[in-house]
Amino acid sequence: MTDPIVLLQILWTGAVTASSYVLLTVAFSLTQKVTGLWNFAQAGTMGIAFYAMYFLLNDLGQPLFAALPVAAALAGASGIATEVWGLDVLRARNSGNLTFFIFTLILAELIIYILTLLFGTEPQTLFPSILSPVHIVGGIAIGEWDLWAVGITVGALVALQLFLRLSNDGQFLIAVADNARLAELYGISARRAYCVTAAIAAVLITLAMYLFGARSGITPNSSMELILTAVIGTLLGGMGRVFMGGLASLVLALIQSYSVLVIGSRWQNLLIYGFLFVAIVVFPRGIHLPRRRLRLHAAQPG
Amino acid sequence: MITKNVARRALLQGAGVGLAGAFAGRAAAQGKEPLKLGITEPLTGSEAGYGADFVTAMRMAAKDVNDQGGINGHPLELVVIDTQASPQLGINAANRLATIDKIPMFITAWSAVVKAQAPVANREKVLELSVGANAPDIAKLGDYVYTLFPLAEVDVTALAKYTYDKLGKRRAAVVFINNETGIDAAKLYKTTFEGAGGQIVLFEAYDPKATEFSGMLLKMRAANPDMVHVHGLLVDTPLIIAQMRQLGMTQRVSSYSAGYNPKLLAQLGPAAEGFIVTSLAPGVDDNKNLPGFLERWNNEVKRPPNGLPYLQYNYDSVLIAAKLYKYVLDKNQEPTGDTLRDALLAIREFNGPLTGKTIVDGHHVNKPVYLLTVENGKFVPMAKIES
Repeated sequence: MTDPIVLLQILWTGAVTASSYVLLTVAFSLTQKVTGLWNFAQAGTMGIAFYAMYFLLNDLGQPLFAALPVAAALAGASGIATEVWGLDVLRARNSGNLTFFIFTLILAELIIYILTLLFGTEPQTLFPSILSPVHIVGGIAIGEWDLWAVGITVGALVALQLFLRLSNDGQFLIAVADNARLAELYGISARRAYCVTAAIAAVLITLAMYLFGARSGITPNSSMELILTAVIGTLLGGMGRVFMGGLASLVLALIQSYSVLVIGSRWQNLLIYGFLFVAIVVFPRGIHLPRRRLRLHAAQPG
Repeated sequence: MITKNVARRALLQGAGVGLAGAFAGRAAAQGKEPLKLGITEPLTGSEAGYGADFVTAMRMAAKDVNDQGGINGHPLELVVIDTQASPQLGINAANRLATIDKIPMFITAWSAVVKAQAPVANREKVLELSVGANAPDIAKLGDYVYTLFPLAEVDVTALAKYTYDKLGKRRAAVVFINNETGIDAAKLYKTTFEGAGGQIVLFEAYDPKATEFSGMLLKMRAANPDMVHVHGLLVDTPLIIAQMRQLGMTQRVSSYSAGYNPKLLAQLGPAAEGFIVTSLAPGVDDNKNLPGFLERWNNEVKRPPNGLPYLQYNYDSVLIAAKLYKYVLDKNQEPTGDTLRDALLAIREFNGPLTGKTIVDGHHVNKPVYLLTVENGKFVPMAKIES
């Protein structure tokens, strides 16, 4: 089992599997950074995104290029509606953190319940077939869907990074994340920033649900398990460090994949809860990598 | 409509339940107090695809009983409760049927659920009839728990022997879901295959919630089996086969009767070719009533059934329950868990229209095992193994 081909294959399939988790974690972490909230309602957004795509593809026979943006728009609309008619109202009332937590959790359960009534509880995949053509490259099996998944994930993360760095709205998000009241003094609308965040999160979630639903059966309840992965990634990556959250999800998925070499497959999911426990107790502010020396030297005077 | 009636008549004639002679029509079955039969199946949740279809088949059977006059004039009424295939919900359902609805007999399924409900059945002295669950230790659950479905010792043993003897496989990998459905059956496969002279090169359980199996499959690839047996459920089995093929693994795969599902063929396409499943019920070539039943099913449900062999047992199980009620009533006894159990053991031999002869041998049922394989995108008969 120490065959390098096997190790590389695990690396590749682990990374591909992680792609949807990375996107979900980045969406959750970005929302946490900008709004300061643990928005569990994103589990509902996941359900809306998946079942909108499922309905458009399978019941209405629409092509993917139409289903994907419509699902993202619906998911975005639900996220923005939650902001405007839910979270904003709670903010105006100066509600405590527990109220926000309970509200988002109940909203997620409500959406899941409605989706259950509409679509039932049988696991559904986005497409009738869960297979894609495979190519063997240097002994490693690489599926066409794998390349698609990695490409979409990297593309989405690069686009998000560019948006945050180069656009006004991106800069406003960071300003609101740092200090919402100060940002408003400078004329930046925190409410708008929250809505833009909800829209971005919806796009990332829709892409993640596309990647996940193309390969695995999903039920309305699946999203509650998926959001747990996003929470763990956010905790391990460190609150407020969006891309580190995504990286933490990737590392977690790889550790899970490699763990099968030393422990039985049935223990793999236990690792997730073990990491969550360790993260909360030992790394409450996330795992911080050592800073690079070069930067420290550069910061020193003459 | 004519076809439907003919099919029903054929089914009931095949059943030999002797109900038709008692009363002429449905009106007669509506005059007396209904006899209730509890049903606990997953109607929601990941196993609902099977459970809902089983209930549909049981409702068809109950309707057929009632259309023929019921049971000595009593209509048969099904009281259906959803378990989501969850042991806890199964316990709640059994408690409700026994203590609130006061129903002396219920039909149930899914090994974990059957086991969880057993203490309730034994405590409340109601007859629990397992139809579809196959964990070997279901035979040891107590005086009020019986199976109308052959346990894994029948089909898994036959499959493992066939794999060694007829297919010539010598190195098998066994992967199984880490719950009551998988654990004991996988051990049985292992013991049988090794007993025949084969080698189990990988024996690995996976988490019931897992969706990613690549690590486990790479371990399997390194072990280099010439046969793979998957003992899982509706959700995970196609995922495992798909991920095997994606990793370039071409070994032939077998499973048990849960793999006999048209949805699996759609999900896997050509990757399902050669897949072997067991069936404990005769197919259309071996049972003259089945084509009529399938035609009726297609007319009413408008799609192929999920888990056809199980469905056949579920249909017949309602007729068996009706026969137990009739036996007790004919003896002027009160239908209780005790009298119905005594009836089951006294009658012992049942001839179901969709499953043929079923002999209840204590807590075991013996039936022939049918093996099917996927050829050109369809399940086709492969072998019949007499027990």
